[in-house]
Amino acid sequence: MELISGLLYGFAVSFTPANLFACFVGVFIGTLIGVLPGIGPVATMSLLLPVTYAMSPTASIIMMAGIYYGAMYGGSTTSILVNIPGEAASVVTCLDGYQMARQGRAGPALGIAAFGSFIAGTLSVLGIMLLAPPLTSVALRFGPPEIFGLLLLGFTMVTYLTAGSKLRAVAMALLGMLLGTVGLDPILATPRFTYGSVTLGDGLGLVPIIMGLFGVSEVLLNIEKGVTQEVFETRIKGLLPTREDWKISAAPIARGSVLGFFLGILPGIGAIIPTFISYALERRISRHPERFGTGAIEGVAAPEAANNAATGGAMIPLLTLGIAPNVVMAVLLGAFLIHGVQPGPLLIREHPDMFWGVIASMYVGNVILLILNLPLIGLWVQLLRVPYGLLFPLILLFCIIGVYSEASNVWDIVVMLVFGVVGLLMKKYGYEAAPLVLAFVLGRMAEESFRQSLLLSHGHFDILFTRPLATALLILALAVMVLPAVVPPVKRLLGTVGEETGT
Amino acid sequence: MRGADRVSSFVLVLFALVAVNEARKLRLGTLTNPGPGFVPLCLALALALVALLLLWRALREPATPAPPTEPGERWKPVASLIALVAYTFALEPLGFVLATAALLFFFFRVLDGQRWWIALASAVVVSALSYLIFARALHVRLPEGPWS
Repeated sequence: MELISGLLYGFAVSFTPANLFACFVGVFIGTLIGVLPGIGPVATMSLLLPVTYAMSPTASIIMMAGIYYGAMYGGSTTSILVNIPGEAASVVTCLDGYQMARQGRAGPALGIAAFGSFIAGTLSVLGIMLLAPPLTSVALRFGPPEIFGLLLLGFTMVTYLTAGSKLRAVAMALLGMLLGTVGLDPILATPRFTYGSVTLGDGLGLVPIIMGLFGVSEVLLNIEKGVTQEVFETRIKGLLPTREDWKISAAPIARGSVLGFFLGILPGIGAIIPTFISYALERRISRHPERFGTGAIEGVAAPEAANNAATGGAMIPLLTLGIAPNVVMAVLLGAFLIHGVQPGPLLIREHPDMFWGVIASMYVGNVILLILNLPLIGLWVQLLRVPYGLLFPLILLFCIIGVYSEASNVWDIVVMLVFGVVGLLMKKYGYEAAPLVLAFVLGRMAEESFRQSLLLSHGHFDILFTRPLATALLILALAVMVLPAVVPPVKRLLGTVGEETGT
Repeated sequence: MRGADRVSSFVLVLFALVAVNEARKLRLGTLTNPGPGFVPLCLALALALVALLLLWRALREPATPAPPTEPGERWKPVASLIALVAYTFALEPLGFVLATAALLFFFFRVLDGQRWWIALASAVVVSALSYLIFARALHVRLPEGPWS
């Protein structure tokens, strides 16, 4: 009953005009940047952080979350129509979605992507509602050793489930953690690697790093290569999938939702990996695996469901533990902190309006997206025709404004440009940016929790192995490291994931 | 990409070694009571190790000639970066509107090859509009320059 009243309260919060408007703006911007290649939800959310100063805490989180799942919707549109994933999480959608479009079935492909996302979004909101409150009580027992165990699990996940080279991902994660140590020591406040610079004294900023690695580098790469804009000329007729389409897609959507949701909860996963695993899974259990890659509708439905469900799942560690399981959630965490709210086990009690309001708003947002996107697809297609020569200066400009406005410090722009170059080189030499950024965020927390644990135990390492929850997490982290090498099915599944990405 | 792999992993090794050297200057502490330098040193050493592994792997592969350079205009990102750095340091003395208009004019005219009056007009309009939207409507703090 408590759940129902909580959710009803949440709906009451999310239906206030200001919050409803924030939700609408969020999902609209999200869809917009999801459609536009070269600017993603992470950069956009960082960009808009300063704007949220003027908003209420609840409204700003609602808007931020809306941008994230809105981008997931928008990203699939470009995958299907242009074979360019608007977001990394829509890469898999290209495989069958674009083929469907070429066969004149762009409508049903877009339709099933929207409905699949909607169903998955709905299921994941239900999941959050059911899982978050009980997890909150578990989370209250989380001390530094448990947090350290969970973060370690996150590191192993992010590196061992990466699509590309594992060793390179490990290198990037270590580099990220190392960059995270710049600034003041978390326990003793001794300056480290600051060389007398005030900008470095506060540590490298997350926003400049993200904007550099994800925004500026992408633009630089596109300027060099030249972006070919070739919008698939097809009349989109009938967005509604046929009854046959539904029959094929129903089970894949359900499986994708469940898979995405539970994978999304785990730290280090993000929304991309679930799409690959869900696609691989569907092809493996399909009676006609040869149809995949030639325009199979379930190849669109399942991964689209998975990435939306993962978005919801990722909210759980943030809301209950205050730990960001992926880069997007790290930015969302920043939005909470800007308003002086610490997400974590106490959130549900101290700020029930935020907790339930945000969850309910995700449901409202999914409905808005469905209503918004079905008629607006034509507009999004037009948007793809905006010449890149006009678009890229604007993206750069927005990145600069976003970074500068945080602290009115031009050196933050310099940091962003440096990471723009680093990101460009990483892209060219085949290193992924996601492990770096996530490790950058989690690394500071990991060092802090590790050293706090040792302070708690007066220097005895057994504190990590005598507390059941901490031990379980450490064993799980070890298992993730060892399991793929030992158990063939896991290895095989991950192998297919690798093939899919062509790495 | 094998020649490229050697270069990239070598750069990583170098970076890690510099980091090791810098981390050594901080107080290390002990294993059970780590000081500020403990975690950075471990991370730098681990990075050096992984980077060496990557380098070893790249060296073990037979060397292949450098891949044909992808079609692309290498001067464009370089020119953009120079413009962006210049813009960064001109931002506060010139103020947002003027500096931004100059930057956008450069992008529209030089990189995108628009006619100069189109480039100029769009640069001025976009820069003024973005100032109005961000600074006035959204209350984002932007440098005003001498005209405040």
